[in-house]
Amino acid sequence: MLLPEYYEFCCSVKLVAGHKALERIPALLADLGAKKPLIITDKGVAGAGLITIVTESIKSGVTIGGIADNVPPDSDLKVVNELAGMYKQKECDSIIAVGGGSVMDTAKGVNIIVSENATDLMKFSGAGALKRALKPLIAVPTTAGTGSEVTLVAVIKDHEKHIKMAFTSYFLLPNVSILDSRMTMTMPPFITSMTGMDALTHAVEAYYCLQKNPLSDSHAYAAIEMISKNLLTAVKNPTDKDSRLAMAVGATLGGIAFSNSMVGMVHNLGHSTGSVCGVPHGICMSILLPYGLEYNMHKSEKFIAELLLPLAGPDIYSKTPGDKRAEKVVELIRKMNDDLYAATDKRHARCLKEVMDRDGKQMVPKEKLIEIAKAALSDPASAYNPEDVDYEDNLMVLEAAWEGKPLDRTKIKKG
Amino acid sequence: MSDLVKEVTAGGKPLKKVYVAIMLWFVGRAVQAAAKADKDVKKEFEALPDDFTFALGVLPKGPWMVVGKEKGKVKYLGWNPDVKKLHLRLDVKGIESAILMFTFQESTTVAFMHNRVIANGELPYAMAFMRILDIVETYLLPKIIAKLAVKRYPTQWSFGRKYGGRVCVYTRALLGF
Amino acid sequence: MIFSDSFEFTCPIKTNSGNKSLEHLPVELDALNAKRPLVITGKELVCKCIIKKFAKAFGDSGMTIGIFDGVTENPDWKLIDDLKKTYSEKKYDSIIALGSGVIVDVAKMLNIAVSLNVDSRKIVKDPNVKGPLKPLVVVPTAAGSGLETSRFAHFQGTVFSSFHLMPALIIIDPRMTRAESKEEMAVAALAAFARSVEAYIAKSKNPLTDAYAYAAIGFVAGNIAAAVKKPCNKKSALAIANAVAMSGTAMSNTTAGLISNLGQALVEMFQLPYGIGMGICLPHILAYYQKKGGYNIASLLLPLAAPDQYAATPDSSKADKALAIVGDMIKELYETMGNKIPKTLKAAGVPQYMLEDILEKLSLADDATFDKEGYLSVIKSAWEGKPEA
Repeated sequence: MLLPEYYEFCCSVKLVAGHKALERIPALLADLGAKKPLIITDKGVAGAGLITIVTESIKSGVTIGGIADNVPPDSDLKVVNELAGMYKQKECDSIIAVGGGSVMDTAKGVNIIVSENATDLMKFSGAGALKRALKPLIAVPTTAGTGSEVTLVAVIKDHEKHIKMAFTSYFLLPNVSILDSRMTMTMPPFITSMTGMDALTHAVEAYYCLQKNPLSDSHAYAAIEMISKNLLTAVKNPTDKDSRLAMAVGATLGGIAFSNSMVGMVHNLGHSTGSVCGVPHGICMSILLPYGLEYNMHKSEKFIAELLLPLAGPDIYSKTPGDKRAEKVVELIRKMNDDLYAATDKRHARCLKEVMDRDGKQMVPKEKLIEIAKAALSDPASAYNPEDVDYEDNLMVLEAAWEGKPLDRTKIKKG
Repeated sequence: MSDLVKEVTAGGKPLKKVYVAIMLWFVGRAVQAAAKADKDVKKEFEALPDDFTFALGVLPKGPWMVVGKEKGKVKYLGWNPDVKKLHLRLDVKGIESAILMFTFQESTTVAFMHNRVIANGELPYAMAFMRILDIVETYLLPKIIAKLAVKRYPTQWSFGRKYGGRVCVYTRALLGF
Repeated sequence: MIFSDSFEFTCPIKTNSGNKSLEHLPVELDALNAKRPLVITGKELVCKCIIKKFAKAFGDSGMTIGIFDGVTENPDWKLIDDLKKTYSEKKYDSIIALGSGVIVDVAKMLNIAVSLNVDSRKIVKDPNVKGPLKPLVVVPTAAGSGLETSRFAHFQGTVFSSFHLMPALIIIDPRMTRAESKEEMAVAALAAFARSVEAYIAKSKNPLTDAYAYAAIGFVAGNIAAAVKKPCNKKSALAIANAVAMSGTAMSNTTAGLISNLGQALVEMFQLPYGIGMGICLPHILAYYQKKGGYNIASLLLPLAAPDQYAATPDSSKADKALAIVGDMIKELYETMGNKIPKTLKAAGVPQYMLEDILEKLSLADDATFDKEGYLSVIKSAWEGKPEA
């Protein structure tokens, strides 16, 4: 176990997991001195009947102040202000966020406004602006997942001024995260596969990127084991509640890992692919993960090789020669993508050229790779990548990921 | 009762502060110099806003270095971070952390990794700053130290770029033009 | 990874570990909205040079800190009341415990008193701690018991338990965690190891407690030999200190079992340090668990052994292999220590006629798996140092 010269680790979110975890919410809110929550969610989650499950589980123990389901797919300052107004008007004393990344970010933004009585959210952006605990916030993730139920960041877009505000503070962490198998049961196979691979990427990158530490390592290790054992089952048997719970826990473990040791090139290129071409985040992660591993292999081979054990189990680990283990990890992740491609009726893309929108139109034309490679230079996720990355490196990786061919590692600049 | 607890007021670390102040001054002027002498640093600054200004300094009360663009030129703007609106402010978490960075016990990347620095401002600016600083350190430091300070030592630089650039950056930094 | 259908996990602690971590304190305190910390330490328990180094870390921060260095082995409630008065009068806003064991207990008790604005009589009458409490920072030294980061505080014969008692921040700085002696290091390492092993095989475990226990077991197994041979070695001492801190979190989120309960009984009845008592009993308890069944001893092999060894060991042999590694580790430790730490309860001064009293103490603990015959057999083996029949 590696002990770095210096590291920091924090996950102060209380985790409550189970097939009936939602029922704990009233008591948890009472512990925090609250009893009138505002439920924040989006139309997709509400439409899937999940809010009904939440309200049925908690209504006997709390007074639901209000339900706001108009959070857009991308967190929006206008909506944040609107919901903060609703919170105050309904005299709520806490927030329950039920949804994915955008709902979590929105809830965190609302919490800043209502706790600080703020009129301008921008004043609280950056690090160190928040100085004290916010109102009680309970996170109920409905994907497995983004991990945003355990991250200390929130990103809110101001569409009028065309800026993205980033907030970083330990005070943004939810007080509690509820991992209830019912919340991910309705996720269709395609969403399950891509959010599952997002979670796997969090754990894998956290394990081999520069800021790794003993606790992020042990959380990542557990996440990888859980996700690799349960993802395909959750895709093929969506109502299998044990695999759903395991995926929810695995995704949270991955979230804890990466929020304490950062990510690298895969997220760097993935964010840019998402912002330039609108490709869903999880798909970018699935496709780019094997390439991130290949690109960094010369620097992180030892760590990548260690991942074979949680990924594939002791049998394959012991049968694979030591110097081949890292490559085997890459091979197995590619195989996971192949299996998921088959299990999702070919919707889980394995390379960038395969990514299609609902109308069957290609989402990443080859000409766009240059723009993505440039955009990636502004993304901070590359800072903790083991090997340096510049525009040429980004383009090389994107081109290989577009074709779906393994990266030619002889072409990597090694300094 | 007042004897139960002894109050201790933190002393200063003047020598370390002076050392860091000198290093910051030199690095600030070296950034100004590199913006003229190096094509990659020039390009980085060209992509930044016209009035882009950033500060790097030590909590709680300095020392600081401020560099910014004025009328298309990159200038070292002195020691006071409050003189202009900052697009990026990098706060090193204390004099000991600054010593780790400026004696190259921890490279820029490692210092960020070890959470020695708080970045206030948009993260793309912080990324640009780190790339600029890597290039400046490659010019300022001999290879054996630069390799510890930067993430990937640029082996593809020509002899002329490396040594000619080094002379140019040092001269300009010392003389301030 | 196996876990029951439902679980809960709490760890409010931020961990900062490593080189110059102490120097981050002013910024960390600011993030906790704290500007005037009261430092609780004990000059009889912590080396003067450590207190001096600690104060120096605030250099250039512009802060004024209060230092109380009078904690002794047996603090009383009057001390808490006196400190509470000073805390309020001098308007401190946070507490830093510099040290381990009893120092942290005092800090936790003081935190209850100042945060809930109650005097000690009220605390004794109603030991239920409601939060939130003021920011508490722990800066451990080498002689950790593992309870520093836990939800427990032991004071004047009462055990207080609340997640609110866990510190907001722990700073594990290698300048603070170097041990004064081999005994100090060995005792801390054994306590961390025993607690983590218990958490790892507990029926109440979950993936989060596993993450902490796994790392702690790995750190002890990989560093105890070097740490004990050279207690001043910063790197291995830091690893052990990390393990001690992680063990507190793991055990706070699992139910106490025979290892902890027996350790606690031995502390209360014979003043045996946790590490000594639990270290002596651990191999006997594990052998008992293996015989009894229902405990996943085999899973211990993962953090104990190199991945190659783990992967190559057949499932049916994993438990035996794990026990062998534990046995070898403890045996090597005792050999290094010579007679400086007792290997048996007999050598530790526990009279044979009191073994049944220990059993009786165990029967009073909240233990759903209490097994009179089995436990007595364990105590007897630990007394004699013979393997369980």
